[in-house]
Amino acid sequence: MAAQIQGFDENNQRISTQDLLMQIYSALVQGENEFEVLSSGHHDIGGPLWRENGQPLKFRVKNPGQRVGSFGLEGTQIIVDGPAPADAGWLNAGAELIIKGDSGDTTAHCAASGKIYVAGRVGTRSGSLMKHDPAFSAPELWVLKNTGSFSFEFMGGGTAVICGIGCEELESILGDRSCMGMVGGTIYVRGAVRNLPGEVLLLDLDEADIAYLKAGLPEFLAKVDRSQHLDTLSDFSRWKKITAKTYEERQLSKSTRISMREFRLNKWVGDGGIFGDLIKDDYDFTAGLVNTGDNRLKIPHWRNKAFCAPCEASCPSSIPTQDRINLLRKGEYKKAIELVLNYSPFPGSVCGEVCPNPCMDSCTRQFIDHSVAMPALGKLSLEASSPQPKTDSGKKVAVIGGGPGGLSAAWQLRLLGHAATVFEADKEVGGKLRQVIPTDRLPADTLSAEIQRVKDMGVEIKTNEAINSDMFASLQNDYDAVVIASGAHNPVVIPFPGHERLVKGLEFLKDVNNGKNPTVGEKVVVIGAGNAGMDVCLGAYAMGAKKVTAVDIQRPAAFRKEIDHFEKLGGSIEWPVFTDRVDEKGLHTKDGRLIEADTIIIAIGERPDLSYIPLEWLDDRGMAMVDACGQLVKAPGVFAIGDTIKPGLLTHAIGHGREAAQYIDSYLAGNAPVAKVKPPMISQECLSKELFRPQNRGRFKADANQETNRCLSCGTCRDCEMCLEACPEGAIRRVQKEDGGFEYVSDAEYCIGCGICAGLCPCGIWGMEQVV
Amino acid sequence: METVKLNDVTVNDLPWKIDYNASRCTMCGSCVAACSFKAIKVKVERRRMVFSEGDIPEPKSRFSAVPVIRQVNSIRDYCRGCGMCEKVCPNDAIKPVRNPDTRHPIVTRCLAGDSIKRGGRKNLENTSRTLDAIRVGRISQMTDPSLDAQRHTFDLLAPFGRILPPKGLSFSEAQNGQLNSNANMPPVNWIYPVIIGDMSIGALSWRMWEGVAMAVAYLNEECGLPVRMCSGEGGVPKRLLTSKYLKYMILQIASGHFGWNRIVNAMPEMTEDPAGVLIKIGQGAKPGDGGLLMAAKVAEHIQAIRGVPKADLLSPPNHQGLYSIEESVQKMFLSFNAAFKFRVPVAIKVAASATSVSVFNNLVRDPYNIVGGFFLDGIDGGTGAAHEVSLDHTGHPIVSKLRDCYLAAVKQGRQGQIPLWAAGGLGKTGDLAADAFKMMCLGANGVFTGKLILQMAGCIGNDLGRCNACNTGLCPAGITTQVPQLAQRLDPDKVAQNIVNYFLAMDTELKKLMAPIGNSSLPIGRADALVSMDKAVADRLQIQHVC
Repeated sequence: MAAQIQGFDENNQRISTQDLLMQIYSALVQGENEFEVLSSGHHDIGGPLWRENGQPLKFRVKNPGQRVGSFGLEGTQIIVDGPAPADAGWLNAGAELIIKGDSGDTTAHCAASGKIYVAGRVGTRSGSLMKHDPAFSAPELWVLKNTGSFSFEFMGGGTAVICGIGCEELESILGDRSCMGMVGGTIYVRGAVRNLPGEVLLLDLDEADIAYLKAGLPEFLAKVDRSQHLDTLSDFSRWKKITAKTYEERQLSKSTRISMREFRLNKWVGDGGIFGDLIKDDYDFTAGLVNTGDNRLKIPHWRNKAFCAPCEASCPSSIPTQDRINLLRKGEYKKAIELVLNYSPFPGSVCGEVCPNPCMDSCTRQFIDHSVAMPALGKLSLEASSPQPKTDSGKKVAVIGGGPGGLSAAWQLRLLGHAATVFEADKEVGGKLRQVIPTDRLPADTLSAEIQRVKDMGVEIKTNEAINSDMFASLQNDYDAVVIASGAHNPVVIPFPGHERLVKGLEFLKDVNNGKNPTVGEKVVVIGAGNAGMDVCLGAYAMGAKKVTAVDIQRPAAFRKEIDHFEKLGGSIEWPVFTDRVDEKGLHTKDGRLIEADTIIIAIGERPDLSYIPLEWLDDRGMAMVDACGQLVKAPGVFAIGDTIKPGLLTHAIGHGREAAQYIDSYLAGNAPVAKVKPPMISQECLSKELFRPQNRGRFKADANQETNRCLSCGTCRDCEMCLEACPEGAIRRVQKEDGGFEYVSDAEYCIGCGICAGLCPCGIWGMEQVV
Repeated sequence: METVKLNDVTVNDLPWKIDYNASRCTMCGSCVAACSFKAIKVKVERRRMVFSEGDIPEPKSRFSAVPVIRQVNSIRDYCRGCGMCEKVCPNDAIKPVRNPDTRHPIVTRCLAGDSIKRGGRKNLENTSRTLDAIRVGRISQMTDPSLDAQRHTFDLLAPFGRILPPKGLSFSEAQNGQLNSNANMPPVNWIYPVIIGDMSIGALSWRMWEGVAMAVAYLNEECGLPVRMCSGEGGVPKRLLTSKYLKYMILQIASGHFGWNRIVNAMPEMTEDPAGVLIKIGQGAKPGDGGLLMAAKVAEHIQAIRGVPKADLLSPPNHQGLYSIEESVQKMFLSFNAAFKFRVPVAIKVAASATSVSVFNNLVRDPYNIVGGFFLDGIDGGTGAAHEVSLDHTGHPIVSKLRDCYLAAVKQGRQGQIPLWAAGGLGKTGDLAADAFKMMCLGANGVFTGKLILQMAGCIGNDLGRCNACNTGLCPAGITTQVPQLAQRLDPDKVAQNIVNYFLAMDTELKKLMAPIGNSSLPIGRADALVSMDKAVADRLQIQHVC
């Protein structure tokens, strides 16, 4: 006889849940195993309850409230005669719960063991968070009809069977969006389901599934008194099962979307993408941060001789000293000392003695220790034998003036195979080299040796031949071309008061060199502190002056070397000095000072005397009006050089002579001369001077034969192979050419454009083309 | 003897210094090959040691010359701190280090005699952001259930287009119970609340721009996220205009009208309508200034699409034909509505400013129902190129300005009628979902972002002055350059994939923020969900102050 538990008191009033449950507990203590409960919505009937002796407990409940059978333990059976509200079997821990009608929302929520049988529908979120603790048997939920939406959310284990009886019309027997977050367990469904999440699989049954249902269905139907449906439910072709994807399957399913590349190739705007008609680009190629070939940010080029060495660039005669020294380095001594004669017939006199050597002022080596010893190199060539001239062309050229410019032009013309005749007004050629340069600056032997070398080349020389306009006209007739190289010999004088007292510097120097010993007073003032002024100053001392003062209106233009020489003799330079007048006391400045002088010499330059050519051939400064090739604009075939076109140094005149010869060569060949432009001077930035060990200046001794180690060879490859060694990719090759030459090549297939070759090249040959 | 003079530019004048360790360097050349700014070079260094080994002074010296990597001393080719050298160095021998003693702002102006320009972003303000002072503080629990972000159905859709109030709708009920529209209704596209902001094909490399466009198409077609992208001013490739993907593009028109000739000419071949048209009046990063595309980036295809030769391309700071707000409404809105036969919504973008609310109030009246959105752009956003003084010293932050506009609409009972879209440094910390969410709670219908998209693609620039060289055309990441050698560093598939993944992640995060406050649709104006521990911020934005 089961314990009768009434949810009503003697007055038929509903008692509280607590009172009802207390009745159950006391009956249990009294040894009752079975309970008939007439409830009126009392909650939590059925668990967690147990007998000390382990005997099973059985409840028959009518009209229960929420959470019937919740927390029920194994050994407890609860039969609800009719429907149950929400949370039936909540947290079921092992009980058997049989509900013979519908069951409310969240039926079997969190059920972890035991079995729940429902003869009708279950509400929303039923079976959610069902799980299986392996220490206990798996929970089961059997439902005859269907579930509400959101059921089996976050299900982790156990089994649910949803039979779908009478649900044929439903779109889904699991309602909408069930199984969200499901990670484990199995749900058998008979009927349509929809809107399942991607984390679960809807599968056909296998043999084990069918065996499970075959075994379980009769028991379920019997317990809920619905055995009449057994045949219907035994058509297993109508069943499916839902399982959660395994962790591994989930990882895979994350990448079930097509790859971006597939999207691009198969779905995106075809044929090269949206820019395909504008830009050629292969999107399957992605460059690295470091690349070879066309993807380099910069590309090296071996630019041998693309830039002038500073010495060559600043030498008015364009003498390429680096070539000389490269020959010396190769041991080709003779070739090296002869090379210079292709540029100047006066290496000994000019390079070696009187030239202020602008080459040395720009020489890269000065930034390491001292400039390369150019004068010493020049002197080496004093004895050099002349180059072989070209075969006679049959053309002849008249050169007016036998100074350094005229002789240079004649020398070069001979080398080019033309006949050259020099017309010199003086008794001997040499021009200012001979006439005005003090002999202690230029030994007479040196000059005559070099003049003799010019003569030996076959230059015809006519001295005491001052040219006038008639003679000029006949020269034009008799010769194929004429070079005007008569220099500047008209001293410039400023007409301030007393200017007639002035001695003209040029004449003074000429007198000195001609042995006329012009007299000077003890105190001499020289107006003009340029290089010519310095020569005058030296001349004044040589003629017995005690104190020489040079004045200038601006910073002295003379080269340092000249000034030093002058100052060593006791001379001084004053500037800025503006002359107001000169008289017997000396030079009066505009600011009222008197610089005492017995003799005042003016040396502020000379102008050319071109009275032998028509006035309209001159520019408004009285110079020959020439084009970029030195050819007179108004007289084709007549070329002017040196001081007749612009005041300059001896070396300028020599350079002009060489250029004029080359232009005349084209002119004589019937071609219009084209002005040559020297390559630009190499930037010091390009030269890795650090590769050269500086010599100790304190112990330095200039030795032309040691310069091979000192010249950097700016702009001309010295073939040192630094680049070959340093290239990290081994991309550089040295290619020997058949003509004895060589070149270095960077292979685009290996080169990454790092610029190490350019960064360490001592000569600045490798340059980087900036692509980006 | 070194010949350095006082005013010679030295490394210490520059914003970044190269930290180089010659003893670890193998002279592999990778760093110098990779540096797009020519900021490092190879140089030979002398090593000289004078020593004596004997019992008495016996001078000896040892000399060697070794190639090394050197930083370039130049205000033109200077290190931007992009770190590509560090990235490629196999030996950790080189890296850029920020130079706190930089004289760059002074030296550059002194030497160049020109204003400093750069790309990127705000560099001066490194103070904490307003949005970071705001938290989502209303967490539903006992009073109302929070939603489950994972299983709940969320509606993350924002309007692009004019929303009519209920009284403005003109419906009648048909016999079958269906509603019939009786009049022309303004077009509205319901789209994802994050628009990819307007970056032009001139500003970005073609690989980048196409990568972004592809990401947008992929998000729509493969992921179901209706994300839209704004073209930026500078044209749209014809192939995109005539493809079905045009429907994901918002076409921009700015003061230069660049590229519109080709857009108009492509109309007969269009198979889809664009998602919208955005009239750009101003940009938050450089308010009051027009677009600036440096000549280095005006590649051939850009010249063609824009119809200009290679030059620094300036867009005027204002539309040449506009003199008043009224005229802007009538001319620009009417014409662009008409151009697409009133099927495409048209919105306007302005820089946040002290007068934004007035402008917005004017538009809110919108008698013609043609104002499809108000895009408000604050400082802290990015730009391809601008004068540094504009980037650093002009502009208005977005947060309070957006709030003001929203509250102005609320006051008139017209909130939501002209959708509000906000931008300006959103997602700056990498968390766009949080920023977007907070902006929506403050009243934005959605947000737009550009700078963050670049960072998804691999941009290494930041707000502390790293890189910020978008204007130079030398972008080391291949993003803001038109040089093939650099652009090809960028893998467009990877760009697209990163953007797609970021949006998917952000989508999850937005739901993670919507769920706790119990919103299943976007929380527009739900300022009650926000709290701030900063009293000033709380008071200014009218949100709860907490402490």
